[in-house]
Amino acid sequence: MVASGDVDAFDREVRLAVYRTVVAESRPPSAPELAAELGVATEDVETSLHRLAAGHVLVLAPGTNSIWMAAPFSAIPTPFEVSVGDRHYFANCIWDALGVAACLHAEARIDTSCPDCSEPMRLEVRDGALQEPAEGVIHFAVPAARWWEDIGAT
Amino acid sequence: MLLFRSEEHVERWNERRGTPAGAAFTPEQGWRLASAWFHDRLSPEWRRRSPEEAKAVFDAIGLSGAFWDLDPAGEVSSTGTLDTSDP
Repeated sequence: MVASGDVDAFDREVRLAVYRTVVAESRPPSAPELAAELGVATEDVETSLHRLAAGHVLVLAPGTNSIWMAAPFSAIPTPFEVSVGDRHYFANCIWDALGVAACLHAEARIDTSCPDCSEPMRLEVRDGALQEPAEGVIHFAVPAARWWEDIGAT
Repeated sequence: MLLFRSEEHVERWNERRGTPAGAAFTPEQGWRLASAWFHDRLSPEWRRRSPEEAKAVFDAIGLSGAFWDLDPAGEVSSTGTLDTSDP
């Protein structure tokens, strides 16, 4: 059991461990894997994951202890594939796809397609800048105040 | 948040779905938004932004107006706090 005064520090360690695995392996860790890495009980990790989800730091797959989103990364394949060196990630949306490059501070290639016509589209980030020509229009359908009403749809 | 070939494609997509137009901006603005929002995500010191900090990020990129207002009608999230976490 994590002492109540240590909850924030514990949740931070869990969050950082989640991202370490996501970055290294392009997948989120399970609760038992996190528990083994941190040397703590699995149930403490599960409780932490739910606290982080309640705080919108992570998103869990509904009704599970499994991480669905550790923004900007997605645990499941999406139309937003980000290539960084020889590693490939999936992002939750185009903002998040650009966010993968931003949080890794790395050169990245983003492959997606136009939702209207399915034409493949690519954006590239190099030397901390979006490469020209960066064609296209980014569209946010949901106003900012309502993003979390249905985060999957947003 | 999706990437379309042009505003014409956005309009056609919305017409087909019967959905209202949202906010459209350039990939360069998107990169600036992503950089400002996610650059520190892997840092131990990262924390969620306050509504004021989030608004400052949007304003700096030229994203303003009701669409970007995190509290247009005094709305609060289901957890009872203004929601400034990322989508």
